[in-house]
Amino acid sequence: MWLVLIVEDDPRMRDFFAASVSRSGELALAGSLGTLAEARAWLDDPAHVVDVLLVDLGLPDGSGLDVIRHAVRLHPACEPLVISMFGDEDNVLASIEAGALGYIHKDSTPDDIASAILEMKSGASPISPMIARRVLSKYMSLRDGRGAAAASPPEPPPVASVAAAAPRPVLSTREHEVLELIARGFSYADIARLQSVSVHTVQTHIKNLYRKLAVRSRGEAVFEATQLGLLARPA
Amino acid sequence: MGWRRLLRAALLAASGCLLALAAAQAEVQQLTYARATLMPEGRAARSADVTLPYHWDREQRYRAGEAVFDVPFSLPSEPSEPWGIYFQRIGSSAEISLNGTLLTRMGDVRQPNSDDYAKGPQYVPVPPRLLGRDNVLRVHLRADGGRRGGLSALAVGPEDEVRELYADNFRWRVSASMVVTIFSLLVGAVALALWVTQTEPGTVHVGRRDSVYLAAGLAEICWALRVGDVAIEQPPLPWPLWGVVVTAAFAGWFCGIALFCHHVAGWHRHRSMPLVRAGLWALFGTSIVASTLSLTLHKPLILTAWLGSANVLFMLYAVVYLVGAVRKPEPARLLVAAAGTLNVAMGVRDWIAIRVSGSLADSTWIRYSSVLFGLVLGYIVITRFRAASGQAHDLMANLAARVSEKEAALQQSYARVEQLAREQERTSERARILRDMHDGVGSHISSAIRQLQSGKASHAQVLQTLRDSLDQLKLQIDSMNLPPGDITALLANLRYRLEPRFAASDIELQWDVDLIEPLQRLDAHAMRQLQFMVFEALSNVLQHAQASVLRIEAGVMAGTVQLRVIDNGRGFDTAVPLRRGLLSLRERAAAIGAELNLASQPGRTVVEILID
Repeated sequence: MWLVLIVEDDPRMRDFFAASVSRSGELALAGSLGTLAEARAWLDDPAHVVDVLLVDLGLPDGSGLDVIRHAVRLHPACEPLVISMFGDEDNVLASIEAGALGYIHKDSTPDDIASAILEMKSGASPISPMIARRVLSKYMSLRDGRGAAAASPPEPPPVASVAAAAPRPVLSTREHEVLELIARGFSYADIARLQSVSVHTVQTHIKNLYRKLAVRSRGEAVFEATQLGLLARPA
Repeated sequence: MGWRRLLRAALLAASGCLLALAAAQAEVQQLTYARATLMPEGRAARSADVTLPYHWDREQRYRAGEAVFDVPFSLPSEPSEPWGIYFQRIGSSAEISLNGTLLTRMGDVRQPNSDDYAKGPQYVPVPPRLLGRDNVLRVHLRADGGRRGGLSALAVGPEDEVRELYADNFRWRVSASMVVTIFSLLVGAVALALWVTQTEPGTVHVGRRDSVYLAAGLAEICWALRVGDVAIEQPPLPWPLWGVVVTAAFAGWFCGIALFCHHVAGWHRHRSMPLVRAGLWALFGTSIVASTLSLTLHKPLILTAWLGSANVLFMLYAVVYLVGAVRKPEPARLLVAAAGTLNVAMGVRDWIAIRVSGSLADSTWIRYSSVLFGLVLGYIVITRFRAASGQAHDLMANLAARVSEKEAALQQSYARVEQLAREQERTSERARILRDMHDGVGSHISSAIRQLQSGKASHAQVLQTLRDSLDQLKLQIDSMNLPPGDITALLANLRYRLEPRFAASDIELQWDVDLIEPLQRLDAHAMRQLQFMVFEALSNVLQHAQASVLRIEAGVMAGTVQLRVIDNGRGFDTAVPLRRGLLSLRERAAAIGAELNLASQPGRTVVEILID
């Protein structure tokens, strides 16, 4: 039984999601909130337990991204899912980097919503070809930037220290191939067949990818902060 | 007793006087008495006692001739120091001997009309051994008529003292004249250079030279010749031709200076200018005539009269000029007026001193005052250049200001053009989005409304229409993010969006999409059209074909992108495009220049889109 917290400002949508969660036998509602402030207060209470966070990005008093970051920091076991109208790449990518592990569409059916949550808990994260393409190009540019930084000998410490501070978030060859196939429109089943692995393995690749992207974005933040002198370099 | 004492006192006084006299005699003696033998040409020679200075021209009526002057002088004792003789004026040429020994020759006394030593002072050193208590200095001279020849009073005495007298005179008559000559040459050269290189300020005729410089330049060159003549003891031309040249140079100077003054006053733009110019030319011409007549006819009065009338003319001109300058005072004009007046005064003084009273020793003063014109010209040039550089400075500043103005204007117009381009872009983008909304989500929502209003449509049908409309909206948003020309991304995205429908319809989807290089010629609009076309083809299969397998193929064959939607459904008659969807497929294909091929039979329907 997974405990789900819903943060959505539209009361009807909130009720719809709450109903969808309640209908499922494997999910239970932990809370149902409408603003960033309420969500923060709720998450700040150590007595509260949450497994899944369902959050809308456009909250009246701030961004759902802040809720995601807050939840990930205070409740590491919590897996955030973003509620998106269109699943458009900019918002989804920002959410992933904030720590979200998936997204669901607002027009999904109640059954779809429950199954999306459960699939995520069992290790599957959705990804659209557009997002896969964006991740690939971003990964390419990051790798290029990293290569350029490594090529300049006088300043090796920042890269090295960041890499030491966080697990090195580099896409594996397999992950890269999976992303490329997704970008070409192949389904998880197609990819599993092409690569002679199980669908579950493909899903795991994607979920790992999500975590890496989140870690990467944290690593980047640390790297940038170090560069700006906001953080002392680890000795 | 009384008279003896008186006598003694008288004797003492007398001896004192004698001693003083002897002492004085050892000093420089001015010798003014001579015994002369005069030999004017065409006349009988005669002897006479004369008092120096002896002005030949005046005494001999401008006739050429020779003369021998014996000048006796006594010394109290034979000197042991070197002595010297100083002649304030001697010539035209002369031979000087002392006690029968030739001391020096100044030119050739037997050669008429050539050398002229009378222009400057002369000094002759005397070895002490030639001097006795009683001496006779013999001066044999030749005088050419009209050359101001003759013999001035002369001074004999110890070398250092006499030389001092000579040097003093030399300084004023020769050295100063040389300074004036060099100055005039310099000013003249600069003025002529300016005339060659500069154009008159404020004229519209480009390339027209400023004749103020020409007038001043020629005047100064003439003046250099006239004043420099002092140092020319052996002229290049014979007398009296040289005399005419020098007089003409003098006339050239004052005519040129008058022209210069006229220009400075600004009167050269007056309509009387041709008359003034003609008058000055006439004055210059008559100087040649007058000097030629005067010198060849031995009639000094002609030249004197001509010079006198020139003086009168210039006195009048000076008065007119002064009045004009005072009425319209300008620094340059006032300076010229002052210099002119002073020079006219000097001219009158010289005329009286040399031409009228006929002093042999005197020389002209105008040579010194003439320098003022050069200085005024310098002042004018400097002020003009200052004004010009000021103007240039203003011009540059003005130019810079205008350039920056233009730059700003250009930047503004650039910004405007850019803004217009942006607006244009926004407008066309907006138009595209509106058209999309009209064709896509709008038409679906309106048909959903119609379905609800008619009451005939089922709940599921309305729901399907609304889902279609949301799908259209998502596709539209996706199309904005699709990389231009990337057909693979377009198909992948379409599949992703339609996945729920495929899942709901129980059709097996076969995906055979190669990685296709983006096509440059497909812009955002074309991509959207292509998206519509594939969507339409897929919708057809899903809604009408009753197929069990749907295959999507995409690849490149010989540079052409081949896109196929194949199903195994019941098929349709491609020749009768009754369905609205097929019609729109053709229209969109035509709009983006793609080839559309339809082949259908029961069990295999192929919709093929070919894009070059």
